[in-house]
Amino acid sequence: MAKDEFISTGIDKLDKLLEGGTPRGFSVLILGTPGSSVEILCKQLATVGKVLYFTTEETEDEILNTISRFGWDKSNIKIVDIASEYSKAVLSSEEKRISVYKQRSKIKLKELIEIGSSGLPPTQKGAEDFLAVLSNKLKSAKYEKIIINSLDFFLSQYRQEEVIRTVHAAKISNLENKGVLFIIMTRGIHGDIFERKMEGIADCVLELEVLQKGSAFERFLAVKKMKNYAKKIGIARYIIDSDGFVLEMIERIM
Amino acid sequence: MANVLIDGLKERISNAIKINQSIGIMLPGSNYSDLVQALFEYINSKPEEAWVYVTVTKPYGTLVKQYEYLLEAKNIKFIDCISRAAGILRSDSNCIYLESPSMLEKLGLEIMNIFKEVDEDTEKFLVIDSLSNLIIYNDAEIVTEFFYHIVNRTRAKDIHTISLAIEEEGLEKHLNRLIYLNDKILKVRDSFI
Amino acid sequence: MQEEERLIVDNERCKTGIDELDIQLGGGIPTGSTVLMVGSSGSGKTTLCMQFLINGAQQGERGVFFTITEPLFKLTKNMEGFSFYDKKLVESGMVNLIDLRIISERLGLDTEKYTAEDASALLDILRDIADELNVKRLVIDSITALCYRLQTPEMIRDFIFKLGSSLAAMKCTTLLTSEVPPMTFQYSQYGIEEFISDGIMFLGDLERKGDLIRTFQIVKMRGAAHSRTKSAMSISSKSGVELAPLLKSRE
Repeated sequence: MAKDEFISTGIDKLDKLLEGGTPRGFSVLILGTPGSSVEILCKQLATVGKVLYFTTEETEDEILNTISRFGWDKSNIKIVDIASEYSKAVLSSEEKRISVYKQRSKIKLKELIEIGSSGLPPTQKGAEDFLAVLSNKLKSAKYEKIIINSLDFFLSQYRQEEVIRTVHAAKISNLENKGVLFIIMTRGIHGDIFERKMEGIADCVLELEVLQKGSAFERFLAVKKMKNYAKKIGIARYIIDSDGFVLEMIERIM
Repeated sequence: MANVLIDGLKERISNAIKINQSIGIMLPGSNYSDLVQALFEYINSKPEEAWVYVTVTKPYGTLVKQYEYLLEAKNIKFIDCISRAAGILRSDSNCIYLESPSMLEKLGLEIMNIFKEVDEDTEKFLVIDSLSNLIIYNDAEIVTEFFYHIVNRTRAKDIHTISLAIEEEGLEKHLNRLIYLNDKILKVRDSFI
Repeated sequence: MQEEERLIVDNERCKTGIDELDIQLGGGIPTGSTVLMVGSSGSGKTTLCMQFLINGAQQGERGVFFTITEPLFKLTKNMEGFSFYDKKLVESGMVNLIDLRIISERLGLDTEKYTAEDASALLDILRDIADELNVKRLVIDSITALCYRLQTPEMIRDFIFKLGSSLAAMKCTTLLTSEVPPMTFQYSQYGIEEFISDGIMFLGDLERKGDLIRTFQIVKMRGAAHSRTKSAMSISSKSGVELAPLLKSRE
């Protein structure tokens, strides 16, 4: 029964901290800070279960390489490479500029006149709408885990309200699919109010923190919120070794 | 009695317009409806002529209700300057509605445009009903200028004009100046029969 | 420039087809001129320009209308309300309507922003099209919208001067529309369009007793002894644009 109710995160001790894994249908917000290696956590999460992985900063190749390096299973990951699409879009718009004259020489004048006098006005076709890509893929997804790394990209391209709306929709469809949705976001750059809103939407909030202790840095993973499972709130120190995330010391808060 | 009065008016108009290019008719307000009736009956008796009737006094709708034969008349076109401004929206094949009685240039254009479509051989007549009401909606100076233009342009195109002026206190000074631009002035008096 | 002088000596005039306007111009616009048609939105610039083209077409002069503000279907829908608008002339290719945005999109230009190269590429095309169609009358509606897509005042300046010299080299008579805010007395948005034009016509408004009267004035017309008086302008579906002497009210 327990197996059906929870989905393993892929990290032993984290499952333990969560007492079995993440409940099905949960939306998990992971707040990272620079240096917390949240990107490694993402990949590790992706090694267990059938996974749909949206990547906005790293390319598909980079991700697969990293996973191989750790020796994890990558057979069940489907990657949506927004990072590559985005850079392609940026590049091609630059390319287009250079080739106006080239383009011109390719089109016959008569043809051009005909197009100009008969065609309908161009639909405002700017860059690809990545938020639409995200929400469309999410709707049709039948995956156990969906990972979005990271929301920062969408927040830099779209208005917060639009992003929130998409996240809401994603949460609902995830609930129906009984999978787990992981959304990664950097803490402290999108404003307190937005962060509170996101924490409000999420069923579970994990926070990664880096603290300086003397000359060393210590990293902590805190379970800040766990809807309907009050006792699962706790904090753990972690290190990253050749196996990935290793949680060392678990402290229960409740 | 009324018929005698109207017949008398018709005769005076008929005689005056035959020998003059333009006539001005000054009348007291109490004679207004008699004069209009006489004028319409006269126009109706001349189907071979082309008439343009500019009304600044009564809406076209009111006029045709009163004189139903105007609806069928082929020899008269109306330009109604007041219905639109009064918020009356209707469209008639026989009538052009002007947005406002202060659009005098537009009025001038519409008048000439109607006459443009009339055969050269057809006798053409313009009625302005009335100068006194144009002055109510416009500065007297601008109406004077407008009327000068109209008189000159209609003369150039051999169009007869009949302009009505209802005597009103305070307007006499302006009306006199306007009305004397005409070749002939008719003064309608209660006592004239 | 020399070309232009010759044409004026020949006293060739390009009739607008608006009777009063042709009278005011002393017969028409000197052939080969570039005229700036200035007015706020809704002042009748587009209608006047279309009337100019239709009229030319009726006299056997081919014309082209480049629109950049209004999509074609909207433009034709508006024009079909006017009785002067003879669809057959468009269908037969005597009047060509061309959406510049479609052209620029087809060239891979970002339709909302032009670089200097984009702009001059577009200018080349404009000229090529005019040559190919062998037009005698050309309209660009509007130059303001074209300049709006350029990023800096310097680029706009350059573009306008290039446009000016391209147009001067062409043999056709050109109307450029220029959009200005209502109730202003400037002739152009960027303050330089007027320098490349041989003529300026100003479409304005005048308030009289609470009504807005449309006005029209030829501000400048090189090579023509023209009237400078302000006229009243009327736009009607039956007659299109018409002019009448403006009555001087005491303001």
